[in-house]
This record gives sequence, C-alpha cells and structure tokens, in this order.
Amino acid sequence: MARPAKTVTGISVAVAAALSLTACGGGSGAQQSADAKQTLTVWGMGEEAKRLAEVAKDFEKDNPNVTVKVTPIGWDVVGQKMTAAAAAGKLPDMAQMGSTMMGQYIALDVLEPVNTKTFKKSDFFPATWNSNVVDGTAYGVPWYADVRGLYYRTDLAKKAGVDKAPVTWADHHALAEAYKKNGAQYGTALQPGNTGAWQSWLQFLYSEGGSLTDADGKSALGSPEAVKAFETWGSYFKDGLAKKNFVPGADVAKTFAKGEEPTFMSGPWMVQNLNEQQPQLKGKWKTAPLPAGPKGSVSWVGGASLVTFKDSEHKAAAEKFTQYLTTPETQAAWYGATKSLPANKAAYDRPEIKDSAEADSLKVFRGALDTGKEIPALEKWNEIAAAIEGTLEKIAQGGDPATEAKKLQATTEGLISR
Amino acid sequence: MGQQAPTGPELRPDRLSRQNLAGWLYSTPFLALFLTFMAFPIIATLLMSFTDFGLRNVTHPLDARFVGLDNYTALFGDPKFMKALFNTCYFVVLGVPLTIGSGLVAAVLLNSGIDRFRTFFRVGFYVPVVTAIVAVAVIWRFVLDPSEGLIAGLGAQLGFSTPDFLASKALAMPSLIVMAVWRNMGTAMVLFLAGLQAIPVEVREAAKLDGAGAFQEFRRITVPLLRPTMLYVAVMTTIGFLNVFEEPFVMTDGGPGDSTLTVSLHMYKEGFSFFHMGSASAMAYVLFTIVLAVTLLQFRLLKDKTR
Repeated sequence: MARPAKTVTGISVAVAAALSLTACGGGSGAQQSADAKQTLTVWGMGEEAKRLAEVAKDFEKDNPNVTVKVTPIGWDVVGQKMTAAAAAGKLPDMAQMGSTMMGQYIALDVLEPVNTKTFKKSDFFPATWNSNVVDGTAYGVPWYADVRGLYYRTDLAKKAGVDKAPVTWADHHALAEAYKKNGAQYGTALQPGNTGAWQSWLQFLYSEGGSLTDADGKSALGSPEAVKAFETWGSYFKDGLAKKNFVPGADVAKTFAKGEEPTFMSGPWMVQNLNEQQPQLKGKWKTAPLPAGPKGSVSWVGGASLVTFKDSEHKAAAEKFTQYLTTPETQAAWYGATKSLPANKAAYDRPEIKDSAEADSLKVFRGALDTGKEIPALEKWNEIAAAIEGTLEKIAQGGDPATEAKKLQATTEGLISR
Repeated sequence: MGQQAPTGPELRPDRLSRQNLAGWLYSTPFLALFLTFMAFPIIATLLMSFTDFGLRNVTHPLDARFVGLDNYTALFGDPKFMKALFNTCYFVVLGVPLTIGSGLVAAVLLNSGIDRFRTFFRVGFYVPVVTAIVAVAVIWRFVLDPSEGLIAGLGAQLGFSTPDFLASKALAMPSLIVMAVWRNMGTAMVLFLAGLQAIPVEVREAAKLDGAGAFQEFRRITVPLLRPTMLYVAVMTTIGFLNVFEEPFVMTDGGPGDSTLTVSLHMYKEGFSFFHMGSASAMAYVLFTIVLAVTLLQFRLLKDKTR
C-alpha cells in the first residue's frame, strides 16, 4: 500500500520536471543526415518491443551507420512515462504509439508530421491512417491494425437449428436466444462495464451509421444513431443473453469453450489462442464478419502507429526505419511473429500470410479492415472512453438508453473540442 | 533530566565545531534526496492544487492558471469524490480493526505454546506482506472466481451456490477488505510479537503468583504493556488503509459502479489518465489532511495512558 505516496510524488515529479524546464518543443536545429553514424532511440510497448529489437537488427545490417536502441515500456505505464518525458524534454527519437493515444500527443505538440511524399495514405487501410490525422495532417505511420470479428460455436448453433453465421444484429440476437434455449448460460459475451467496455459497443454505433464526433467535430454521443446503438447493445442484457456483471480477469476463451458464452467479438489473435488453449474445440467454431447494422458490418479499427518526435535530431534515420517497418515484407514477417495484422494492404499478398494456417479465418479480418472505422484522434479520449463505459454500465443494469445517451452527450460535449 | 543526558563536549550545540560540520556533510546525501524527492514535490503539489494544471501544461507549465480554492470546493460538490471518500472510510472502519485484531490474536497464539511450529507460522503469516501485489491478485482472483474459484468450488461441493464477489456492488468492497486484512495482518503480527516478547517474564510470573488466570493476565499485563506497540500498529495500519490503492487497482479498477473507488484510486485516475493534475493534487491534500487528523486523534486516544 505504498503506492499512493508514490502517486502524490509522481504527480509532483511530473510538474517539477515541467517547471524546471525552460525550453522544449520548438524542435532542434542539428539534424543528422540519414547516412551519418548515429544511434536511433525507439520506445516500444511490452512484448512487442522485444520483437522490434530483433527486427531492428535486420535493419542495422542494411544500414550499418545506424544503431537502433529499442527500450521496452509496459503498456500500463506508457502514458505516464511518455508524458513525463515530454515534460522533461527527454523523449526518444521514435516510438510505437497506440492508436487511441495519438490525440493526446498531437495536442501536446510533440509529434513530427508525417512526410506524405514518403508514406502514401493509399498503401494503408483508411482507418489505420485516419486515426493519426488531425486537421488534415498525419502525425503517425500505421504499423499494425487491430480489428474485430465474430467468433461463434458452429456445433452449438447446429444443435440449436442454425446453420449459418449471423449476418445482422437481429440474426445475432436470434442466435444468442437459440443458444440460450439449448442450454447455454448466456447467449453471447459482451463486456458490461469497466475499462475497455467501449470496445464491445463501438461496432454497434458504427454499424448504425453513428460516430463519436459529428461533421463539426462536436460530440455525437447523444445522436439518434447512438441511442439506437445503446438500445441494441442493451437488449442483450435486458433479455438475459449477456452477463450483467463485469468479472475482472474473465477469460472468454474458457466460457466460450464451455459453451456458456458461445459468441464473442475479438481480434485475430484469438484464433491462435483458441487453437492453442482449447484444442478440443477444433472444428467446432468459426469466425465471421461482425453482424451488420443499417450501414453494414463496421468494426472499430485500432492498432499502433510509428511516430517521430519533434525534438529528434535523427529524423532522417527515423524515417528510414519507419519505412523499413512498414514495407509489405517486414509487415508480413511481423505478422508471422506476433499475429498482429499488417496495416499495409500489400502485405496480405505475401506468402507468409496468404499460405498461413490461419489464412481462412484471416479473410474475415482482412475484410473488416476495408470497412472498419477509426477512433478519431481525440485529446481527451481516456476521459471520453471512461464516460462511455459509465453509460454502458448503467444501461447494462437496466438504465434507459435515451436518457443515458443524453447525459453522455452533455458530459462529452466539454471533452470533445477542437 | 539534564544530568542523565550525555553532555560530552562533542554533543554541545556548537554550530561551528568540526564535528558538526562533519555531521552536516554526512547528512548531505540524505538531505539532497529528501529535498528533491520529498520536500520539493510536496510543495509543488500544493502549488499545483491551486491551478488548473492539465495535459497541455505538461509542455507549457507556465500557462497553468491560478484558480484559488476552486479545485477544493469542486471536490466536495463532486458525487464521485464523495463516493470515493465514503468507500475509503468504509475500508478503514472495517479493515483496520480486523487487521489489528487478527494480528494480535495471531501474535498471542504464536507467543504462547506451539514452539515447534512457531517459525513456520511466523513466516506463513508474513509471506503475504512481502508478496508482489500482482501475484496476490492472481491468487485472490482464483479464490473469488465465480465459476472455477476456490470458494465457488467449496460451495459446489457443499451444495450451495456462491455469489459473484467482485461483480457485486454489495460484496466487492468486503472482498477487498478481506484481502487487505490478509495482506496486512502479518505486519501487525510481527510488531505485536516483538512487543509481547519485550514484556518481562518476571511480571508475568508475579501475576501468576498473585493468582491471575490467563484472561486476567492478558487484560491486566499484556494489554497495558502492549499499548505503545498498539499505538504504533494502529497509526501505521490506519495510514496504510486510508491510502488504499493497490487492492481496488488490481482487482476491480474501482467497479462495479464505483463501489470500490477509493480516494487514492480516484486521484490516480484523475491525475494520470485524465491529466486533471490540479484536481488530483487537491485530492492528495484532502487525503493528507484526513490522514493527519486521524493520526493526531489516535495519538491523543492511545498515548500516555501507559503509566
């Protein structure tokens, strides 16, 4: 329980660093050319950083003048570390940046705009590119993508008299009911609240044609589409088809295998997880595109981008390394190592992906990337997400969607401003 | 009193003496660290609590505006903060007596008899104290898991169904309290053990000769002589519990429905997730004031009644 003391100190140290600092931002004059001998410092997140260090070795072989130094940072502390580093003017040259973090650092004015002569928007999936853009300027190059598909138990569906993947939300709701009638404890898995619950809801909003912000950049969370999305999402809880209480650390692979929650939405990594952790399930489940609303099947698209910081003196080398990491070859190899979906479209034609064991189920995710939609780069995304999660929790417990959406609109109006 | 204190020439408060200079030199590393990492942040936090310091001020700190007491008044109008305050009190009021009580019982049991297993139990009770919180979280998630957990498993064997502890608004906080008591009683126990062993055997023997039973001995001898230890344990445990952060942080993230949101956790989220540094600093000072007040109260209640 020593943590809070550190919290207080931590807050203060951040400020201390900030206060003691006179010059930062501004960009520095001494730029190193790409072929000068130099060390490029890169921050990566968690496990990915270890793999990134291996990839960097290959880059160093082709570019012997550049030494790439990768520092792994835990996903849980990256926000604090990066902000403190920004305050102290001690940012690295480059970093991997989660898509939902972009808005915050763009607002902090520490990111170098992307050179659009080198990086072409058309090489990447639109949503992966757009999450890096504020006012028409891109501040990060898409690295890998995160998108959702539907996992469902085919064997239990057959038992319930359904032999097709659900195409619309209505189909999905009906399938969940059929599962439940045939002995499943719940029809589907939906996170009813807590951190990350917005991920279970955003596809309802997007497939309804709604969005987080309207054309003027103001909050659209009280829109008729949002209300409808809250209603559809909430109906699973109202009808007893999803667990109302959030269970910390719940493992959906287990409840899926037990048939308690025979459908769930998740990313491509679950294909491998299920194959490895629940091998007895082989042949009893499939992936399908997310159920569609009036505007089609639209997943939210997240992932990570590569950013270069304004104060870096190695921008040319950083650009070269970013280029290297985003070629179809490197991206396909990266998929092989991490199962993260490439953001570069051409990578999907490489044999590492085309001929992989998961090629079939990958098609679902590849398709979802074409139709998916980004989370816009919002400065206060963390706060907005927490507000959405609070609303979802109330609706899961039986709150009225229209009333709650109205309240959410009021809360978020002050948080979304440009 | 002055005659008892050692009054050699080297201890006279002679500011310019060489010994004195050496003393200052020796304490410089500590003082430097203390000023940098304690005093300065404490003052900076106080200053920040009077400003609207937010995310953008991280790179432009001087743009933060002075807002006077606004952060403080806003806190007391904020239902979320009041809820966090209530939850923290709930945690302290239940958790502290349970921790002290179970620590004392364990210490008394260990101090009497069962010589053979004493070390085993001492270590056993102390292990939770030194275990990393992440490992603790894994264990307790297993204990509390509604479908495959230890309690659920026992319940199923005995033929009753167990509630979903961490997902229930009514049960989440009590579950965390049990976990915190388990984690902290070891510290209380070790301190009580030390206190118990400092009680001279002669006093106990004299009491026995006077015909005191076990209970009377405990009430008349152990409790009064343990009072200084009790004060220390009570103060330290209360401070720790008022600052409760880790249990809700790793187990529930404040949920369900803010039912386990504590002041420290709220402060952490406001400060580091939302970057409302001004407001988070104000919370830190409100919490500090409460800790100070409670500690002073405890000193008044428990001190100086020994003789």
